[in-house]
Amino acid sequence: MRTPIACLAAVLLVVAGCSNETTGAERGTPGDPSAITLQVSGEREETAAYRAIVQAYENDHAGSDVELVQVAEKDDHLTKLATSFAAGDPPDVFLVNFREYSQFVARGAVQPIGDLLEERGVDLGDYYEAPVEAFSLSGELQCMPQNVSSLVTYYNVDLFQRAGVDEPRAGWTWEEFRATAEALTRGDVRGVGIEPSIIRVAPFVWSNGGDIVDDLDEPTRFTLEMPAARQAVEFVVRMAHDELIPTEREIGAQDLETRFVTGKLGMLLSSRRDTPAFREVRGLNWDVGPLPVSREQVGILHSDAYCISTGTNVEAAADFVAFAAGEQGQTLAALAGRTVPSLRSVSSSGAFLDPTQPPRNAQVFLDAVSTLRRTPVIPTWPEIEDVAEEYLTRAFYDTSYTVDRFIEELNAATAPLFAEGAEQLP
Amino acid sequence: MRRLARSTAIILGCAVFALPLVFMVLGAIRTPGLPPPDGFEWIPDPVRWANFRSVFGFIPLWDFVVNSLIVVTIAVPLTVLVGSWAGFAIVSSGPRLRTALLAGSFLALVMPATSLWIPRFVGFRWLGLTDTLVPLIAPALMATTPFYVLLFALVYARIPKALFEAAALEGLTPFAAWRRVAFPLGRGATFAVAVLAFIWHWSNFVDPLIYISTEERATVPLALRALQTLEPTNHPLLMAAAIIATVPPVVAFLLVQRTFFTRALEV
Repeated sequence: MRTPIACLAAVLLVVAGCSNETTGAERGTPGDPSAITLQVSGEREETAAYRAIVQAYENDHAGSDVELVQVAEKDDHLTKLATSFAAGDPPDVFLVNFREYSQFVARGAVQPIGDLLEERGVDLGDYYEAPVEAFSLSGELQCMPQNVSSLVTYYNVDLFQRAGVDEPRAGWTWEEFRATAEALTRGDVRGVGIEPSIIRVAPFVWSNGGDIVDDLDEPTRFTLEMPAARQAVEFVVRMAHDELIPTEREIGAQDLETRFVTGKLGMLLSSRRDTPAFREVRGLNWDVGPLPVSREQVGILHSDAYCISTGTNVEAAADFVAFAAGEQGQTLAALAGRTVPSLRSVSSSGAFLDPTQPPRNAQVFLDAVSTLRRTPVIPTWPEIEDVAEEYLTRAFYDTSYTVDRFIEELNAATAPLFAEGAEQLP
Repeated sequence: MRRLARSTAIILGCAVFALPLVFMVLGAIRTPGLPPPDGFEWIPDPVRWANFRSVFGFIPLWDFVVNSLIVVTIAVPLTVLVGSWAGFAIVSSGPRLRTALLAGSFLALVMPATSLWIPRFVGFRWLGLTDTLVPLIAPALMATTPFYVLLFALVYARIPKALFEAAALEGLTPFAAWRRVAFPLGRGATFAVAVLAFIWHWSNFVDPLIYISTEERATVPLALRALQTLEPTNHPLLMAAAIIATVPPVVAFLLVQRTFFTRALEV
């Protein structure tokens, strides 16, 4: 019996030895000022773009070394970040959405990036304002936005032709939107896919002249009970009750994206993130249009940024971020199809507005930029969104659940989270 | 008549459990890039076996499989050995110590795994072992989970005391008593723990997620998770990878099941 145990111990040591050796070689010697780690999440196409950026950066900067850590799902990405921050071993640079970054700022985990980029010749005036503003807290740019995506109307051109309805155009009204959805709803085809989440409902509220919270910078509560906001919620919820939106059972069988690519959904409200997937589907004839308008055209910001962790290799990390968020980095990201570049010059270039690739109306994403508004950035906002989704789901699919009851219960459930968020605000 | 009814019931039961497997195989031989089937599709047309090859080109699946195999090859025997020793130690200790050990095991069993993520990460980082396979194998040094220890203890407790007393009279050391009496008689537990530990380590997702950051050292569950983010039109590749990932545990089970069902029930 002694021999097998000795063997096991030997194997264990060898495995430890081997992996240690390679780790050392790949990461560069410890304390090497030019070696950094970058943690990103996303699908393969998206992470392929980051790999290309890392490659280009290493070719451009002799002696630099960037280790790319790719995590498939966003939730796993946040778990891994939280664990490594708690353990004091975070990645030097990580990519995060503006709706989630403030919890890292609140914990003192983010090195404000504004001055570092200025030293490296980055002019924020070359970038769109909306994402730069969203990633600024306490008067400082915390993380460097790489994209400026927003909600648009994806639509199935063939289904529109079959139903004989006009394609979405700038300034189309809520009435036209609803009438289009009604005309498209036929057999197992539904008019439009809208997720029951606050970030999908918010642009309707804003377009109608309402607000989702009482104060964007220091929110204390949702304000969906105000007439303009309530009317917008009612408008969206009624579309769900009238089954112009796929029912809960239908979504249980096939999610909205799948229904769209199989021709069972005329329109889908989504951000740029669905573009790479829809490009892959053979025989799907699709395009994008603007959101419908009640009083004014308003879009909702979706943006991710590169954040630098405090206490890590800050200088080398800033060199990399300046490159990745710069012209070459953003061009590489735009070519992969997933991002709407936050750098104006790249957004108007062929890398983004490639006429040979759908969507033909890619300009819609750029036209939306000047109309963008955003959700608050308090640290508890991700939890507030989760709770809101729970109640909105009920409001969408349970016809006996009135809008007034929804608003009342949502306010009660989220009040403590708003209070907690205000305390954590840096 | 009764036999017929019994066989029918068994076949129906098997069919229910086989359905997910059937769906997995049918999903794996569809052509990627086509819209997902609308409703249910029996045999895809055309059948595309090449998915099993192309998934290796899509991600370095082979590396992931090799890493997972390294983990289970070391962790499973280690788990069985440590679990068996610990179980035997519980059974052979005096009543007071035994109660304390059992209580300790139960306490460890109900401890939420998430509460250990950060302390363990800090420990392995201090040892310089993050981003290696060691943190994935290390739980085996503690029998992977206290449940396996308790399983061994339960089985060894059913071996007649007289056998151990006889062994002691023969002058056998506790280690020899374990090797010559308890371990051979408790074979059922050994096989059960081996299969369970194989599945535990093979499908362990959170540990590699937290500890592994380099793709070359990632294990199979991370590969499946990465493929899961593919758009629905490419899910045939996910299904093909899922089948490849299912093969090793199935082979492991088939290897031990014959021994398990013929000998395990003797104890």
